[in-house]
Amino acid sequence: MRRSGRELLPALLFLLPFLAVLVVFFVYASARAVYFSFTDYDLFNAPAWVGLENYRALFRDDNFLYALRNSLVFAAVVTTVQTAGALVTASALNRRVRGMTFFRSAFYMPAVTSSVVITLIFLWLFQRLGGVNYLLTAVARNAPAIGAFVLITVIAQTLQVWGERRRWRGAAAGSKRAVAALDPALLVVSLLVAAGATTVLGLLGHLAPRGTEAIAINWLQTRQEVPAGAPFPLRAPLPLVAIMVQNAFTTIPTFMLMFLAALQDVPRSYYEAAALDGANAAQQFFHITIPSLQPVIFLVVSLGLIGTLQMFDQVAIFGSAVPLQSVITLAYFVYNRMFPGAQLPEVGFASAAAMFLAALTLAIVLLQRTVLRAEGDR
Amino acid sequence: MRRLFTAAMVALLAAIGTAGAQTIVRVQGYGGQDPAIVQRLIDEVIGADLAAQGITINYEPIETDYNTVLVNSLSAGTAGDVFYVPGETAPGFIATGKLLALEDLVDTSAFIDTLNAVFSKDGHVYGIAKDFNTLAVFYNEDLFDAAGVAYPNADDDWTSFADKLARVAALDPGVYGACIAADTARLGAFAFANGWTTFGADGGVDLTSPAFAEAFDFYSGLVTSGAAAQPADLGAGWPGDCLAREQAAVAIEGAWILGFLRDNAPNLQYGATFLPKSPTTGLSGNYLYTVAWAVNADSKVRDAAVKVLEALTSPAAQQFILEQGLAIPSRKELADNPYFSQDSAEARANKVVFEGASHGNVYGFQFGTIGTDYMGPINNALTAVMTGSVGSGAALSQAQSDLTALLQRAAP
Repeated sequence: MRRSGRELLPALLFLLPFLAVLVVFFVYASARAVYFSFTDYDLFNAPAWVGLENYRALFRDDNFLYALRNSLVFAAVVTTVQTAGALVTASALNRRVRGMTFFRSAFYMPAVTSSVVITLIFLWLFQRLGGVNYLLTAVARNAPAIGAFVLITVIAQTLQVWGERRRWRGAAAGSKRAVAALDPALLVVSLLVAAGATTVLGLLGHLAPRGTEAIAINWLQTRQEVPAGAPFPLRAPLPLVAIMVQNAFTTIPTFMLMFLAALQDVPRSYYEAAALDGANAAQQFFHITIPSLQPVIFLVVSLGLIGTLQMFDQVAIFGSAVPLQSVITLAYFVYNRMFPGAQLPEVGFASAAAMFLAALTLAIVLLQRTVLRAEGDR
Repeated sequence: MRRLFTAAMVALLAAIGTAGAQTIVRVQGYGGQDPAIVQRLIDEVIGADLAAQGITINYEPIETDYNTVLVNSLSAGTAGDVFYVPGETAPGFIATGKLLALEDLVDTSAFIDTLNAVFSKDGHVYGIAKDFNTLAVFYNEDLFDAAGVAYPNADDDWTSFADKLARVAALDPGVYGACIAADTARLGAFAFANGWTTFGADGGVDLTSPAFAEAFDFYSGLVTSGAAAQPADLGAGWPGDCLAREQAAVAIEGAWILGFLRDNAPNLQYGATFLPKSPTTGLSGNYLYTVAWAVNADSKVRDAAVKVLEALTSPAAQQFILEQGLAIPSRKELADNPYFSQDSAEARANKVVFEGASHGNVYGFQFGTIGTDYMGPINNALTAVMTGSVGSGAALSQAQSDLTALLQRAAP
């Protein structure tokens, strides 16, 4: 039904402030960028029309190819990790336990902390003599003690579970209430036994720390790529891995909050019914939690893809501490060509890269939409 | 921040109060520690004289990335009337056509020729160097005494210098002979000593020549041999920091280290000497670091802006900067300055930095129109070798191909 002019006018008036901002800062700016992407322009001389030359030049530029690969790998890995991580933390925090508010706040902290500050802290952690290498060295040196602790825990737990199951089988054959492999009560006992045994062994001098050399992995100032044997499109430079860890750390809490909000709407009766039918925690998670969260998963994956494909700030702050090709992403490539230190800016080239990034993001999100839709309809 | 704001408000009110009578000239410079000094220079040294001529300076330090801000504001037409142009980025800014040619407006012959050359193109001078700096070896006398090693001196070559550092490093596991960063801005000076130049005769770059490779091996070898350490590995931000904290006996820096040492290590007994000589050529090398004042070609108050530039580079202004221990004057007439013969570690160090400009093979800290991007591949190679992840041959050929690609991209 068509709206009459009388209704349209007030609506437009109310929309005007927003529309004005949208037109000036988005439509106009985007249109200019599209135009610039077909020109040779350096901010100082008039733009000269070059047709598709900038787009062709993109694929001849090594840095662009690195940026494209890095962006795609980064988006794939980080979106997966952050969605899974957020889902798991959200279901863990969606319980009625004393003190849960504290954990919810604590887990959300990384998201409200400035990403610049976090990046600087991570730069320290990943230095050659930084926290990460220190921790790895400590683990390597104390491997005998850690190994003994883990081994004793596993043995104690296995023995206990085996004993309990035997006892139950005797008492009530066919009962579904068999003891789980990781039964919490038994696990506490196992851990206590292991801690005690390890301490005793340590005091007897059987678990002396090894004199391994300090681990000094060069996380940042390197061109090394992992996994080493994989073809170029599937490798990630080590410094980018450091940024992936950091990015996942800071984005998981935000998405966790979305999942947590959605989880509150899943009726408790579903879980109760499933439990009565004998579904265990994992089955409940995969058959109730995930299907109920389908729309939110779509939202989280979309936001995650858009955010990771356009990741810029963390690369900018890592800046000159790392080789450019090891961290460059498409968004940083655009910035790098637009503000190339002391050279004249390559506005046309940068705009072409920006257009490519926009098209790529749109294409990937649309693809993701069709895939997730199909999953949902099944 | 609040003080800056207040200062800006006062300046603004003063400007409004005297509107009509006064011409306002906008001056832009670096942020950081610079604004305090430049503000004092304007208030105490040159302000009154300019005010008498009806000129008020509106000083606007730029706190973020200076070059980026300048490119943007120049293209948008919002740049100041007078502003800094760093030597290493000057060719790029001259190419924008937004810098006023000054040779007919200012007496450029009063300034050191090599400095004018840094800001010149096709016979035009686009900036007047406000001051300059070169590199010197700054050493901690106590650490050398404790190790029983002679202080570094002008006769040292790379071999004897490295030997002295190694002997100081042997003193204690927590002390290094030197603190050096993976930085082309230092390595280049040693390569100059060997006869290498930033760009070859054909305009290309040769990083695999013996002249460069030898300097590269010497410089990175200081770290790989354990005689020196990188600042980051000592938890320091830059070599001056290691020197101030007595973690290293030597830092290779310019006169900018003096103010830092004065504030952070007032009791440090230090000396300064020239960079060691290449064993091959018997010469030392050095970089000439400089920043110029330039005038905006589109300035609406061009005449006043030129007067401000003259005041900012006047003998009185330069003497003030020198005595603050910040940088060496760019005027020829200040070369025989009584300040240099004062009996203090600072004055002696300043003299070494001043004479460094004419000691051996000295070239401007400048990299054509690609600017400081030039240093990226070489810095990466240095880092890779210093951290032991690659050999120097592989690192240098990687740097060579990266740098060649960079130059080809930048070529029109």
